[in-house]
Amino acid sequence: MSPRREVIVASPLARDGASRFGRAVSTLVRGGDFLFVSGLTAVDPDSGERVRGTTASETRHILVNLKQLLEAAGSSLDKVVKVNVLLHSMLEAPNMNEVYARFFPEPPPARTVCGARLPDDAKVIIECTALV
Amino acid sequence: MTARLPRSAIEPKNPRLNVSRGANLPHVPGIRVGPYIFLSGMGPIDPVTGERNHGPIAEQIRTTLSNMQHMLESAGSSLERVVRVHVVLADVADMPEMERVYREFFPIDPPARTAWSMQLRFGNGCEIECLALAT
Repeated sequence: MSPRREVIVASPLARDGASRFGRAVSTLVRGGDFLFVSGLTAVDPDSGERVRGTTASETRHILVNLKQLLEAAGSSLDKVVKVNVLLHSMLEAPNMNEVYARFFPEPPPARTVCGARLPDDAKVIIECTALV
Repeated sequence: MTARLPRSAIEPKNPRLNVSRGANLPHVPGIRVGPYIFLSGMGPIDPVTGERNHGPIAEQIRTTLSNMQHMLESAGSSLERVVRVHVVLADVADMPEMERVYREFFPIDPPARTAWSMQLRFGNGCEIECLALAT
């Protein structure tokens, strides 16, 4: 039997992610055994507004929200297999790492970090793939 | 213990869109493995001439997504089965134009997506890759 593709609207955050900026993006998509999470920017979980801060504070906002999104979709941080982190400057990698290391239990997932030009004046974007 | 998943290369029905093979680059357009299709990053190639289309960014996005649709359909999949997309633009200022054209291709329940900007090859304004369910 072929797996179905399923867009998950599991939490207000997920709904916000898809609609908040009027974008053609679903925050959480399940396909087969995996959950695919869109690149997240730092958002206040209560107001749904973009939060602009330091690389460290944006990383923390994103990972707090990511944890909640994963759990609402039946997954969790310890089921994440791969993370991609985009930074506005690779000089900020240690600041991101310091926060990042506190979120994932041992052993943390596979990860790639790149420096890139990011939309929305974001300092950090984080996406991941997790087992459901 | 580990069941071996069959892994096979996929090909576009239109040979002009088999860019990597045509240019003798060391990658295939896509790989089907288990229930998934992984497509290589695609650029704006005119499906009639096989030449790069370096028109306005909206046109480049439309060409690229249209080619992606062809690639997926050649392999028995479709845009409706795409679960994740990476959109890379040469210029971050092109995001709104990308968004405008992108939604024409994914009007309802769009895939997960991450978009950013970095240096691209060949003067392309965009490069788009995706992961889709095969059937």
